[in-house]
Amino acid sequence: MLRCCFIVFLVLITFVKQSFALEVDEFAYSKDWLAVVHYQEKMFGGYKSSIDSDSFFVSGEGKTNPKKELEETIELFNSANVSRICHFPARHKLLTKHGFIDAKYPKCADYNSFYSDLRPSGVTLLFTDAYMNNPSSLFGHTLLRIDTSRKGTQLLAHGVNYGAFVDEETANPMLFAVYGLTGGYMGGFTVKPYYDIINLYNNIENRDIWEFGLDLTSYELDLFVAHLWELGHSQTPYYFFTKNCSYMLMELLDAVRPELELSKEFPLHTIPFDTVRVVDSREGMIKTVNYRPSRQSKIKNQYEQMNSRQKKALLRIVKDSEYNFEELNDEEKAGVIETAYQFVQYQNVEKILTRTEYREKSFTLLKERSNLKSEANYEPLEKGETLIKAHKSARLSLGVGSRNGENFQEIMFRPAYHSLIDNTYAYLKGAEINFLNITARHYDNGNKYVLNNVDLAGIKSLSPRDSLFKPISYTINASIDREMNPVSEEEGYVFNLKGGAGAAYELHKRLWVFMLLNAQVAYGGFLERNQWAGTGLGAGVISDFGDFRIILGAENMFATSKYASKMKYNAEAAYSITENFYVSAGYNYWDNYGKDINEVKFSIKYHF
Amino acid sequence: MKKIYMVSIAAATMMFAGNASAVDSTGCGLGSMAWRGHEGTIPQVAAVTTNNVSFSSQTFGITSGTSGCDPQGRINGGTGRMVFNFLQNNMEQYALDAAKGSGETLATLAGILNVDEAVLASKSKENFAVLFPTQDADAVYVTVQLLEIMKA
Repeated sequence: MLRCCFIVFLVLITFVKQSFALEVDEFAYSKDWLAVVHYQEKMFGGYKSSIDSDSFFVSGEGKTNPKKELEETIELFNSANVSRICHFPARHKLLTKHGFIDAKYPKCADYNSFYSDLRPSGVTLLFTDAYMNNPSSLFGHTLLRIDTSRKGTQLLAHGVNYGAFVDEETANPMLFAVYGLTGGYMGGFTVKPYYDIINLYNNIENRDIWEFGLDLTSYELDLFVAHLWELGHSQTPYYFFTKNCSYMLMELLDAVRPELELSKEFPLHTIPFDTVRVVDSREGMIKTVNYRPSRQSKIKNQYEQMNSRQKKALLRIVKDSEYNFEELNDEEKAGVIETAYQFVQYQNVEKILTRTEYREKSFTLLKERSNLKSEANYEPLEKGETLIKAHKSARLSLGVGSRNGENFQEIMFRPAYHSLIDNTYAYLKGAEINFLNITARHYDNGNKYVLNNVDLAGIKSLSPRDSLFKPISYTINASIDREMNPVSEEEGYVFNLKGGAGAAYELHKRLWVFMLLNAQVAYGGFLERNQWAGTGLGAGVISDFGDFRIILGAENMFATSKYASKMKYNAEAAYSITENFYVSAGYNYWDNYGKDINEVKFSIKYHF
Repeated sequence: MKKIYMVSIAAATMMFAGNASAVDSTGCGLGSMAWRGHEGTIPQVAAVTTNNVSFSSQTFGITSGTSGCDPQGRINGGTGRMVFNFLQNNMEQYALDAAKGSGETLATLAGILNVDEAVLASKSKENFAVLFPTQDADAVYVTVQLLEIMKA
């Protein structure tokens, strides 16, 4: 009997060993394993992990050899090397689940305290609005939140941010651009209390935060925290457009649920906005949406709901430090005080008030408020426009038109991101970022094909001034344009660099006016000494009815070359048929040193 | 109620009078947390899609903003320290919520202290002048007062 058992046992062992070896071969190239070690398929076969740190791999060949990495990882978990094992809690979970190991995970003090400090209960994807005062955040930002099961609110949750590690020496804007594009910075994960995140985005930078609750199982949640621990100890070159803050979050979520295949959607560039849309496209992934308005959004919302007596009382406090509430009932007074307090906080952050002034004002206000029993009489800000229904960021446009009577057909492509004439739904109003917008034309006359222009980068930030906020509007634009020499009437390419600053005002919610004082330099092939500089006074009107939009503009340019001085007018109207598709009609008139240019154009534009 | 006010204010005044420099000596009074952890040139350039944290592969964990707040041994116990840690980073919002008698910070503090939110809200509002006797009250002082009030 005993003998028999022994033989059966031997047979079993051989069998198990064999099937195990087979499974290792197979599992090494499974989605689960590839995702947890961040392997990406290379163009000409083979794999490479997107993580750079040696410490992230168990095998010396781990970066490019999934099988070896798997074999050596299994070996490690069967060894007594506790300090190394403690680096890989997620791999341990995964390999245990698939039956490759049965050794228990050791007690890892650091990891355990990390886990218990978090007290995780879920994961939320966060999107913060564009911030026009910082070149690295024009496209918005995404991060993750590990929700907490602690009693109270999610203020005690933690934000998970992927970013470049920038030190004092490399922090200047020029280096930042170069390093950011070439992978000169190392990127990595940081974990901070959620209230710090709120303070930074909502209160210091005045950016709205969107919270998208993700539907993860409790196994996936544990795997998330464990994998974050693995990633936290590693680093990877940071690329502003490709391996950026949003991209690495996709790889992190893929590791937790490999079927999502999120990172595959971003082979070229990753725009934060688009990552939210892709996550949402995965059935049932987003289960809740919450909106956390910025301090400025809250103040504006409250101010809009005030009656004129309240507005007057508020402005008296803000401008003259005069606390006169005589004409107000308690409800109205509460609203004024709360808004004024938030506004002096804003002024403190902007350093408009000294700390002593700030303390005096805020203390006076709060003391007054604490004596009132009534609630303030304003409604909180509605969730508003949902990000997911906003237009996509790449744009292809086809047009036909006539330039001084010459008919042309035009194709225009822009990989990113948003033009003023595009549907503004859920985008920051008055903000424009055109990146690599290329236009090519075919003219019937002479059957010629020309590159009409390349907008290398164009940024516009029109931000209306009101009685509380006084932002500066600005524009900066670099482009290569095909322009006509008014003397010879020949055309040539000109490199134009333009910057300007000014002010915008909101006459009505749907009607903005703006004025900009611009400076421009141009270098091109047909003018005297091939270059000129100039200043221009520009003004315009934007009317935005959602699906229907009109932009009118005029600019008077004074230049060092008389040929370059000109008056320019432009008008464009657009009508959206769906969120990603619209038609537009445009008219341009250039008073070009006697050789005027008249151009009219009709286009269809498609976002994808 | 008035009596408690008077006594507390008197106590506070005496304390402040006795050691005038104790007022916000810890650097965490109203307004001092506005830029906490975000001061300097780097955040202007890179704080947003990036972090201004120097990297060390040896350490990974939760990084809280450095506060410069020192409780000077006046706050003890796990719960007390949690309240203090929360308040030193959220005092301006707590000040508003306390004056209003409602808000997210009150729910959070009630969670930490394991008390009813409505009770903490009404006590915070009623005792606003005790919690914030002067414009220079700092997070240490407010924490001590809040713990005291919630005991009563």
